[in-house]
Amino acid sequence: MRTKTAGISEFIQHKFVQIVHRIAAVLVLILIAATVQAQEIDILLKGGHVIDPKNNINSKMDVAIVGDKIFRVAKDIPANTSKKTVDISGLYVTPGIIDMHAHVFHGADVNSISANSPGGLQADAFSFRAGVTTVVDAGSSGWRNFPLFKSQVIDRSQTRILAFLNVVGRGMVTRYDQQDVTDMNPEMNAYMIKRLHPNILVGIKSAHYWGDFTSVDKAVESGKLANVPVIVDFGEHSPPNSIESLFMEHFRPGDIFTHTFSEHAISETAGGRESIVDVKTRKVKPFVFAAQKRGIIFDVGHGAGAFNFNQAIPAMKQGFMPNTISTDLYNLSMNAAMKDMTNVMSKFLAMGMGLQDVILRSTWNPAQVIKRPDLGHLSVGSEADIAVFNLKKGNFGYMDVRRTKISGTEKLEAELTLRAGRVVWDLNGISVPEWQMPAATN
Amino acid sequence: MNKLLNFKRSMPLIIVLIFFAFTTQVKAQDIDLLLKGGHVIDAKNNIDRKMDVAVKAGKIFRVAADIPASTAKKVVDVSGLIVAPGLINMHTHVYAGSNPGFTDGTSSQLPDAFAPRAGITTVVDAGTSGWRTFPDFKAKIIDNSMTRVLAFLSIAASGYSVDKAQENIAEMDVQKTAETVNKYADILVGVRIGRYDGTEWTPFDRASEAAKLVNKPLFVECHLPMYSLEDQLKRMRSGDIMTHAFENVSERMTVVDEQGKVRPFVLAAQKRGVLFDIGHGGGGFWFNQGIPAFKQGLWPNSFGTDEHRTSMNSGMKTMLNVMSKYLNMGMSMPDVIARGSWNAAKSIKREDLGNLSEGSVADIAVLSLAKGKFGFVDSGNNKIEGDKKLEAELTVRAGRIIWDLNGLSANPYK
Repeated sequence: MRTKTAGISEFIQHKFVQIVHRIAAVLVLILIAATVQAQEIDILLKGGHVIDPKNNINSKMDVAIVGDKIFRVAKDIPANTSKKTVDISGLYVTPGIIDMHAHVFHGADVNSISANSPGGLQADAFSFRAGVTTVVDAGSSGWRNFPLFKSQVIDRSQTRILAFLNVVGRGMVTRYDQQDVTDMNPEMNAYMIKRLHPNILVGIKSAHYWGDFTSVDKAVESGKLANVPVIVDFGEHSPPNSIESLFMEHFRPGDIFTHTFSEHAISETAGGRESIVDVKTRKVKPFVFAAQKRGIIFDVGHGAGAFNFNQAIPAMKQGFMPNTISTDLYNLSMNAAMKDMTNVMSKFLAMGMGLQDVILRSTWNPAQVIKRPDLGHLSVGSEADIAVFNLKKGNFGYMDVRRTKISGTEKLEAELTLRAGRVVWDLNGISVPEWQMPAATN
Repeated sequence: MNKLLNFKRSMPLIIVLIFFAFTTQVKAQDIDLLLKGGHVIDAKNNIDRKMDVAVKAGKIFRVAADIPASTAKKVVDVSGLIVAPGLINMHTHVYAGSNPGFTDGTSSQLPDAFAPRAGITTVVDAGTSGWRTFPDFKAKIIDNSMTRVLAFLSIAASGYSVDKAQENIAEMDVQKTAETVNKYADILVGVRIGRYDGTEWTPFDRASEAAKLVNKPLFVECHLPMYSLEDQLKRMRSGDIMTHAFENVSERMTVVDEQGKVRPFVLAAQKRGVLFDIGHGGGGFWFNQGIPAFKQGLWPNSFGTDEHRTSMNSGMKTMLNVMSKYLNMGMSMPDVIARGSWNAAKSIKREDLGNLSEGSVADIAVLSLAKGKFGFVDSGNNKIEGDKKLEAELTVRAGRIIWDLNGLSANPYK
């Protein structure tokens, strides 16, 4: 372990640093009072191409940050009005990416799938290097262990972590827990969301249920009480439950179907998820369009087993696009076809989705779906969560979960990521000065 | 009739022919995976040229020019790419868990989360566990990872926890440490002295004694503020490893002095056989150390990244990023690859690793060298520019593909 401030007695040093910081802050305030006109901007991202779907911006613009907030987005903001200017010409600037489906309740219980488990990953290890500033955990915790998730993970992460609460109180521990209807308690769920953690908990997850619609219905009931959407992984029914019934009878508008492009080989004995594209005709089932029109949200949730070109490519060709792009990041998906959020986004570029559409589905759309209109855009006054991308040109390959690949000519790469106005990822050091050989060694 | 007789007569011959065809067919495809057309860099075997690499049953089967594709069940075209032994990251903290700090803690990282995507097949944990905590580390992490996890055992009983108990000398037990290393000799590669704020040398000497008992290297980290660098190096034997070699922090004297010269006693230690690991971390690599040292001949022997939660998103990023720094500082590709594989393997006395010898475990990194305009940042937030950067295309662990960036080994979608 090395950190710059690791010292003789970190605690004393930390206190000392705090005092120094306070004195410095006072001095800075005095200085600011004197120079506020000249250099009121802290960081100026200059010369980039801004894509901000909420504000309908898709053009070359500068982005100015003061403190942790977006201060201004405009053409030709003078560099001399900023303390620090980063030249990002040739790069794309977008709102910090929101990964709406991930598993980040990392912990040491090796017998658990996702709750307090090594199966859940550390958000900071995957987020910033992919331009992601917000991840939404998809039901790894339930109301019983959410407090542990919060203290152990959420409060210690730099990434903003929001979460869907599992409809099951124990969260995603084992497959058996997921069947326990006696632990699906809408009152408890709603209380945890609405009364205790409305700023973190954005919805309810139902997953891995083998029976009828009980799990979904309990989730929707919780969602109604807490006024939040539900997200459903409908993948383990044998035989599969009707997704038409799910979309048109059990879901409310705004509820989310994840793993949209999965295709299971379904037999009498092996269950799975009914696909949105008919496996024989390769046509999108008509009720799917109707469902989307009704306001049902279709989330990618790529994962290790839930993204199949045989579904996605015909669907895209027939005019069906997912509402939100997400990874379903967990231990089995991270090194497989999924890899990270930029790879999944780039896969959609390779399938023919436009860059603006890809960004929309990774920023403003998920923000709206989880009812967090404060996120996913670069409006003045909003928190400065920003991604700067390089759109690489070349020959790239993208796989699905069956390990078939398509090729593409573009790939997004996260150059710079800011979280609340702070640079948290800088791939090529575009925000730092050139090193100079000390005079004595020249 | 005659024809039929002839046919009957020739039946044995036909059977033999069919049998022969069948056996050659089997023989024809006895290779599981053939990496074809790449440029192999294998320091141990002194290979630096275009070669094919054949894998069978998890082992390197053959390395040769032009191995026929028809002899393999699966062929991956790796032309234009570098084929190297699976990389070894000499300095990581992977005892990831739920507690604050490193030991079974949230500051450590899961090995599989960063290794395969950087061409790494072996990580060496830098003493995040000690004799008391190692069994738990093994059960939770080591036994559950695709990445091979080896480890230095800390002389501190708990390893590298946040509490002061780790500095309790009474717990720094030479016998128990040596016994644990011997018991898990296939995983534990040495002893580490990590953090001690006192002035007495007992902890350092006990770590050194334990290392000597098990005939493995001592791994010295830097959080030893009251020990002078010169005294530490003097106490180190040939083969012992000093990590964070090129740091510039208050805790330890720098290896390069204010005039930009590598201190003579550091060069003397290097000459004696003391090895230097980068241990980049969040604060452990500075260009004002690394660059003069490189020019004056103090090269790192291994590219440990000091992977952990606060280093991962800093100037360090990945082991390939750290290796690319040295490429752009002027180290040759074979030298860089050697330090990322064979040199590291030798330093932990694991000569079964870090090479592509026939019969070795098939741990392989296929790397691309991207050309362009890149920047590399040090722990002081200074950057150098460069025009080349390594990227992991394909990572093979014991013959199995565990990372495939662009689907090189995948079938095209139809």
